[in-house]
Amino acid sequence: MRVLRHLGPYLKRYRWTYILGAIAIVLHVFLKVLIPHFLGVTIDELSESEQKDPDAVRSAIAWSAFSIVAAAVLGATIRTWSRLLVLGGSRRVVHDLRRDVFDRLLKLPPSFYVRNRTGEVMSRVVNDVRNVQGLMGPVYMYLAETAVMYAICVSMIASISPYLLLLGVAPFPLFIVAARRMAGKIQQGSKDAQEELAQLSSKVDESLSGHMVIQTLTLEEYDFERFRERAEEYRRKNLYVSQARASLAPLMLGLSAVSTIVILWVGGPMVVRGEISLGSFLALTFYLAMMAAPTGVLGFVISSLQRGAVSLGRLRELTETEVTLTEPDSPIAIEGRLGELRVEGLTVTYGSPELGVLGADEADPAEGEEFVDPGSRVVLDNLSFALKPGDTLAVVGQTGSGKTTLMRILARELEVERGQVSFGGVDVCDLGLFDLRGRIGYVPQETFLFSKTLADNVALGNPGASREEIQLAIESARLGKDLDQLPNGVDTLLGERGVNLSGGQRQRTALARVMLLDPDLMLLDDTLSAVDSHTAEEILDELEPMMAGRSTVIATHRLSTIRHANHILVLEGGKLVEEGTHTSLLKANGTYARLWRRQSEGDSA
Amino acid sequence: MTPEAQYAKLRQSGHDRRVASRLWSFMRPHRRLITTGLLLLLVTSACRLIAPFLVKIAIDDHIEPGNLDGFPRLMMLFVAVSAAELLLRKLQMYTVDKAGQNALFDLRVALFSHMQKLSMRFFDRNKTGVLVGRVTTDIEALQELFSSGVVTILGDAVFLVSTLVILFWQNWQLTLVSLVIVPFLLLTTSLIRKRVRSAYEAMRSRISQMNGFLHENVTGMALIQIFRREELARSEFQPINDAVEESQLGAMKLETILSAAVELLGSLTTALILWYGGGVVLETLGADASELGVGSGLTIGALFLFVDYMGKFFRPLSDLSQKYTVLQNALTAGDRVFRLMDETDLVPEPSGDAVLPPTRGEIEFRDVTFRYDDGEAALSNMSWRLERGQSLAIVGDTGAGKTTVLKLLTRLYHLEEGGILLDGLDIREYPSRELRRRVGVVLQDVFLFNGTILENIRLGHPEITNERAAEIADRLHLGELFNRFPLGYNQLVTERGKNLSSGEKQLISFARVLATEPEILVMDEATSNVDTHTEALLQEAMRALMEDRTSIIIAHRLSTIQNVDRILVLRKGELAEEGTHEELMAQGGIYRRLFDLQGLTAV
Ligand SMILES: Nc1ncnc2c1ncn2[C@@H]1O[C@H](COP(=O)(O)OP(=O)(O)OP(=O)(O)O)[C@@H](O)[C@H]1O
Ligand SMILES: Nc1ncnc2c1ncn2[C@@H]1O[C@H](COP(=O)(O)OP(=O)(O)OP(=O)(O)O)[C@@H](O)[C@H]1O
Ligand SMILES: [Mg+2]
Ligand SMILES: [Mg+2]
Repeated sequence: MRVLRHLGPYLKRYRWTYILGAIAIVLHVFLKVLIPHFLGVTIDELSESEQKDPDAVRSAIAWSAFSIVAAAVLGATIRTWSRLLVLGGSRRVVHDLRRDVFDRLLKLPPSFYVRNRTGEVMSRVVNDVRNVQGLMGPVYMYLAETAVMYAICVSMIASISPYLLLLGVAPFPLFIVAARRMAGKIQQGSKDAQEELAQLSSKVDESLSGHMVIQTLTLEEYDFERFRERAEEYRRKNLYVSQARASLAPLMLGLSAVSTIVILWVGGPMVVRGEISLGSFLALTFYLAMMAAPTGVLGFVISSLQRGAVSLGRLRELTETEVTLTEPDSPIAIEGRLGELRVEGLTVTYGSPELGVLGADEADPAEGEEFVDPGSRVVLDNLSFALKPGDTLAVVGQTGSGKTTLMRILARELEVERGQVSFGGVDVCDLGLFDLRGRIGYVPQETFLFSKTLADNVALGNPGASREEIQLAIESARLGKDLDQLPNGVDTLLGERGVNLSGGQRQRTALARVMLLDPDLMLLDDTLSAVDSHTAEEILDELEPMMAGRSTVIATHRLSTIRHANHILVLEGGKLVEEGTHTSLLKANGTYARLWRRQSEGDSA
Repeated sequence: MTPEAQYAKLRQSGHDRRVASRLWSFMRPHRRLITTGLLLLLVTSACRLIAPFLVKIAIDDHIEPGNLDGFPRLMMLFVAVSAAELLLRKLQMYTVDKAGQNALFDLRVALFSHMQKLSMRFFDRNKTGVLVGRVTTDIEALQELFSSGVVTILGDAVFLVSTLVILFWQNWQLTLVSLVIVPFLLLTTSLIRKRVRSAYEAMRSRISQMNGFLHENVTGMALIQIFRREELARSEFQPINDAVEESQLGAMKLETILSAAVELLGSLTTALILWYGGGVVLETLGADASELGVGSGLTIGALFLFVDYMGKFFRPLSDLSQKYTVLQNALTAGDRVFRLMDETDLVPEPSGDAVLPPTRGEIEFRDVTFRYDDGEAALSNMSWRLERGQSLAIVGDTGAGKTTVLKLLTRLYHLEEGGILLDGLDIREYPSRELRRRVGVVLQDVFLFNGTILENIRLGHPEITNERAAEIADRLHLGELFNRFPLGYNQLVTERGKNLSSGEKQLISFARVLATEPEILVMDEATSNVDTHTEALLQEAMRALMEDRTSIIIAHRLSTIQNVDRILVLRKGELAEEGTHEELMAQGGIYRRLFDLQGLTAV
């Protein structure tokens, strides 16, 4: 339950709501408890009516009835008020919580999203936040109501007969022990179920995102089986919770039954002996019934509480994930254009995919022992080079040789160790992340488009751009000729990930994004792989004047596009194996020359 | 259609009952569990009825007259009844829950398998995040039907009726007086009902909108950060988040008013019973017992019984008001689920069992014209023919319609104009799965599954063993690449293959299609992100594997297609040129220009 502490800031923000809510609950419960009291009064009047004037009895009863009506009206009003406060408060808390979680998601580095599945993250923002809402609303209210109800009822019973009170609450400790055990079971069960739900939602996400592959390769049965397994597992985990909950609820009811029996059995004879009045005795049974009423839903409350706590923990896990890529404490402002890029001894290691995943039990390394990740892999090994402003650097190499990784380092998408990358003599770790990213135009190898209009997608990096500027960027990316094929031109709404565009159209949209910016450093990662050579040539013509004034890094497999680069790096398995200009590399007759020959041979064959 | 508009439409047809009856069709297979649950419910309800009655006897026969004979026996009975209720209650709760879980499992599975059948067109239009919500969030809302005990409403109804019978038997006038309040209750409920429903509809559609937004932003997060759009994303999320909150507050207010009204009416009933019943008790006490007939007159114990029973009478009703909102929420969710299940955007399957020709691998396009939406034709009047064992290349500007050709060939989209023949039979006559089994496609958009590299090659095909998959991969020279991984082919691939390089992903999706040994192989830009060296190795290997089989290659890098038998050049959806490499070069048209532009011949 320690996780509840984390709600602190939200409770603080809405403390008056919750305090007023609590006060309203106290008042409401108090008014509610008055009803059995007047009931007792009525019964006493009736049972002693023989010695009294019937009219006096009648008016006393009428008075009681009227008091009940008054208490009920007032009670209902206050109750409405208390619920609006508490339940409304819970919605607000959750609203803020969701906002904060989303804020967090915006800060978590891209590497986080490589390791964690979309479905898993979504499940936390959607399902877990909903459970916290249960905790902050209904659970808070029921617990407050129950506590107040118990306090008032207990004191009422005590005022009637302390002896009966003692007997009535005698079975409580026993039940508390049993309930605790059950609650533990429910908590574990809820945790498992929540995790399984996240898995299930990841699976569904995968199946729906991959529907095209699934259909064309007729993987329906395979995929269905994988889904079924998850759904089956989720059902199993839910049933476990059901079972625990089913044992808890009667336990709570049993508690009230035992108290009632004890009180009847012992209290009945007490009435006979005249130690207490019949009215008080009956009022007492009502008090017990009132105590039992919330007890009946306590099973539900406890499981909601546990579920909420589990979910809170899961959200906590998300918000506590270390943000490895942050603004430096005192960033050095970039003046003028970005200076010379220097990469010295750049080494990049990827950890194994199982590590750093949400919800996984991280094996803590033994005391003093350095944790060694057996699945880690060095993908860039001691890479050094420099790039002067205005120059163009090309990176070539086999698939998986680390080109994209280098790009991601330069784009500040991946964490980098201090001392390995610098601009104009200033370490990137000292430059403002936001500032730096604003000066870099990155066209990733894989295109992602949002389901907004084409124009909005192009204007991603520069939302203030005018229509003309957007149009110009689209033209420069040679997307203009495709516009007449789109139903609404630049205002065509794109489907998810741009499904209604062709592969090359998507890639050129991503390129247009950068054409709209005025970056100091352009990073083009295999940017023309999906366009025909005719269009590619046109785009290169457009790019040339752009590249003249700024530094550019191009990674590509089409060597023809980089003949004019000032410098070419050849990577192999993360190591720099050759470097030089096109001519010097051809002369050296190494890997590059071999690749070049292969391409030109292929084409003239 | 926007979600709002869809819901407006839905409200017109307002079909709670249909949703309920369809839900029931999923519960029916588990009716034995449900019947057991309901029987148990009857027994526990009976126990719940007996207990107050025993208290009444205790008061009237023992405590009030001061006669303790037989009192212990009565108490023993009370203990027994309570114990029975508790034990059976547990069993009953579990049984109902289990029936629910089973039914929802079936529903979830049915929904999923229905979605599997939906066409590309459907997925083009709908957001993944929203659809995922149907299978998870919406079905979760249905689950609450069971876990919150709405199903036991039936049991409550039985309980209510038997309570009334007992009360009438005790004193019918007082019973009638106690029931004066009930019409008010019904009135309140029916007044609020409609608004509750629309509040929940608004809420669920807002939540669904939020799911869609979150999903897209989580998947595109790296881009948001690189392009510094965090602030924009935040400001886009705010109204969505606010709208969810607002709609929830709306639903919550109605819920609160309803439950307060029920509680108020309950207390008023108690007051009424005391006021009226008190008078009757007074008369009864004053009168001779013999003067009173059955069903009139009232003892103190009976008065207690009335108050107790009416309290118990209102409890389910007030529960009911809470359950009612759960019910509304669930019905709304259920409706969304069932509407998705009714979605008929399927690629039509052939009705008759056409005799499928033996696989040879001949393809013919006859006057094929296709448009995605109402826009321009993506393919127009296209005709060509490919003989068995031939290889064909399709080239052309980006957006020319190359991918569309293969989407039609595999019936991802339904063709209406013209025809495509596979081995002499129109592809619309093939069951789509059979068709796709014959045509193996390496798609332009790579998609990998969670699992190891080997699993991604095998993809559950029983005939492809791990050894076979590894062998295929080795023959395609993937070993050299993947040996660099600590676990080799057993390396885990994360979502969509995010931990692999683009080229590696393409190679895996290439290998997995080759492993199925399709009769016709179609490759759409299958190696666009792969270096030339690896690509050349791959082609050599492929040539051996695909010997005598028909293949279609779509590529921008012309170096990869020179050895094909025939080349089609597309331009704006039309077949512009056709012939062998040499013919087309001689022709000096589009192809020639493209080829020269590769720039390499000049070196
Ligand atoms: N997030 C990651 N986690 C673990 N390994 C990764 C991750 N991203 C890439 N890798 C691995 O690092 C190596 C280098 O990947 P990178 O994407 O930099 O290659 P590349 O040179 O761009 O290849 P390609 O030519 O195919 O685009 C690859 O073997 C890849 O599997
Ligand atoms: N799902 C879709 N909905 C609507 N229009 C689409 C859809 N898919 C493609 N289009 C449009 O159809 C035309 C042809 O697209 P197609 O994907 O066939 O081109 P392509 O020749 O494969 O191009 P590329 O070389 O860029 O991959 C394009 O103008 C594209 O915008
Ligand atoms: Mg790459
Ligand atoms: Mg294409």
